[in-house]
Amino acid sequence: MRLIDWLDERLEIRKLIKVTLIDYKVPKNINFLWSFGMLLVLMFAILFISGLFLLMYYKPDSNLAFDSVNKTIMMDVSFGWLFRHVHAVGASIVFLLLYIHIARGIFYGSYKPPREVVWITGYILFVLFSATAFTGYLLPWGQMSYWAAQTITTLFEKIPFIGPDLVIWIRGDYAVADATLTRFFALHVVFLPVLIMIVMAIHLYSVRVVGSNNEDGKPIDKKKEGVPFWPVFMSKEFFVMTVFLLFFFFLVFYKFDFAMDRVNFEPANPLQTPTHIYPEWYFLAYYEVLRGFFFSQNLGLIAFALSMVLILFLPWLDKSPIVSGKNRPLFQIAFWIFILDFLVLTVLGKLPPTGLYAWIGLIASLIFFGFFISLPIIAKIEKKQLEGEKK
Amino acid sequence: MKELKIFLIIVGLVLVGYYGIEPFAHHEMYGGLPKPDFNYLDLKYDIDIKGNPQNGENLFKQNCQSCHSLKTKNLKAMMDENTAMQAFNVVPPDLSNIAAIVEKHFLFNFIKNPQNATKNPKFAMPPMSQLSDQQIVDIIAFLEKTAKKEITGEKILEDACTRCHSVKYQKIKAFTHPENLKKYLGKVPPDLSLKGRSKTKEYLEAFINNPQAVLPGTSMPRLGLKKESTEKVITYLQEISDPHKEERNKIGLWVLGYMLIGVFLTYAWKKKVWQKIK
Repeated sequence: MRLIDWLDERLEIRKLIKVTLIDYKVPKNINFLWSFGMLLVLMFAILFISGLFLLMYYKPDSNLAFDSVNKTIMMDVSFGWLFRHVHAVGASIVFLLLYIHIARGIFYGSYKPPREVVWITGYILFVLFSATAFTGYLLPWGQMSYWAAQTITTLFEKIPFIGPDLVIWIRGDYAVADATLTRFFALHVVFLPVLIMIVMAIHLYSVRVVGSNNEDGKPIDKKKEGVPFWPVFMSKEFFVMTVFLLFFFFLVFYKFDFAMDRVNFEPANPLQTPTHIYPEWYFLAYYEVLRGFFFSQNLGLIAFALSMVLILFLPWLDKSPIVSGKNRPLFQIAFWIFILDFLVLTVLGKLPPTGLYAWIGLIASLIFFGFFISLPIIAKIEKKQLEGEKK
Repeated sequence: MKELKIFLIIVGLVLVGYYGIEPFAHHEMYGGLPKPDFNYLDLKYDIDIKGNPQNGENLFKQNCQSCHSLKTKNLKAMMDENTAMQAFNVVPPDLSNIAAIVEKHFLFNFIKNPQNATKNPKFAMPPMSQLSDQQIVDIIAFLEKTAKKEITGEKILEDACTRCHSVKYQKIKAFTHPENLKKYLGKVPPDLSLKGRSKTKEYLEAFINNPQAVLPGTSMPRLGLKKESTEKVITYLQEISDPHKEERNKIGLWVLGYMLIGVFLTYAWKKKVWQKIK
């Protein structure tokens, strides 16, 4: 008790805890899907710590990187393999958490006023996590690392005017090479994590200001309804966390192949293209949108770029006054089609883009955009219905 | 109940997605491997005569020892390794255990016509057309006598692979100098340290059994390994490419057990806290 008094005098620690955790009232009618935000904080911490230990042995040099990962870390350092497994599986699973977190936001309308800033900062976090995953994937310098980086950086070539120069600027060379590895390394271990922490702080702050959304989408009376974030909400959160960690460590120890592709255990070879190049699963859907418009590369690229940014504009595409999808039957149909479509795109992204798969890919890509087009229409219909009821 | 429903929907979607991007996609991409044929039935000559190992020993000295050693019998090759490497661009193998590693019918056809048996027109050993069928069978009988009955995957790797392949994480360098290998095969063969991890068991089996059928144009010769030797060498490759597997499986159980206790404890606390609510 002494220590906390001492701290309280100097830092007003009690007040800080009261304001941030105890006075922070969370609605009672939220299900476990609202736990994914804190799960993501947890996952980021796990990635940060496991990454730190990997950093102690990793060598960012195209001649040393592969062996430093696959020999030193995986074979020689005590529990080096554990840290790599945790980091690799964590980097993959963090996207599963992100997607569930985002889907929850979409379904219950968590992007609607007054939560636009929560949505925007969340979107920025998604982009930052994607960039971190992409730069980090190059570091083991395996075949898939190399060719995925080569393929994705080539996409920038098509940007009008600055494209070709931009690609060389990103790579630091005419092809992916040592210079690319070192700059991706710098971005992955310093720049991007620092940015993530800053934006995460803003994201959490903005949630604290406007409060959590809930299943019904109706704002709560914070004095009467709501339960304190600490300890009531967190007691449930800890339960969700342990269940999640049970699943996570099962993957880490027994089912890690999905996050550590076999092909990447071959050292990078610029002279030999692998038979199949594919991104990690969390980028497959966008990759499929890129390939979906198989008859025109430029159209594919535009669609690819759009597919990644459209979601940012949800608050302005969907202006329906009804917040939660729970009370919006039309929206629910669109939502579930969108979710299934995203799943189909993800699977197709890994399959060879030939024959029937190419056509399904095109249709699935169109449905993907269909969701965003349907939103303003559904909003309009709902507005009319509401007006009709009032009369 | 409602939360359980949501949970089950998520589990369902994740499982379908997992099936799609892992087993299904991998089958679509890498499936269709040719079935390995460990009897090498495409080779035409069949042996139906019995061999005489004594004759075989003499024939070995006359016909094989100029290039090949036989360490178990203290027979040294007349040509030392360096000279052989300069002449053929590859070090000829020691034949002590060859009969334990290679299938008999293949070995017979191989001695008759190495280029045909290995499906590699550049294979360094010349056809032994001076030998009669009986003489070849005698040599094989002799080699069978010298070969160890029980042979480990590590030894098979050494006898069958490391003339051309390095295994640098095991500190094994290819016996032949990389420059010579480049001249012989057109490129330096890949290191085998992580092949047990970068390739599936099925792929390695099909590839070692018949390289040309899996990767047309590859410079890897068919070596005629028995089913048993193929399996042993693959198991060994898997062990060296994933040396912590046992440790991982063991620690995993402890970690999962720990987490499971955590699930019960956190659930109990949650119950306690939420009792007062509502």
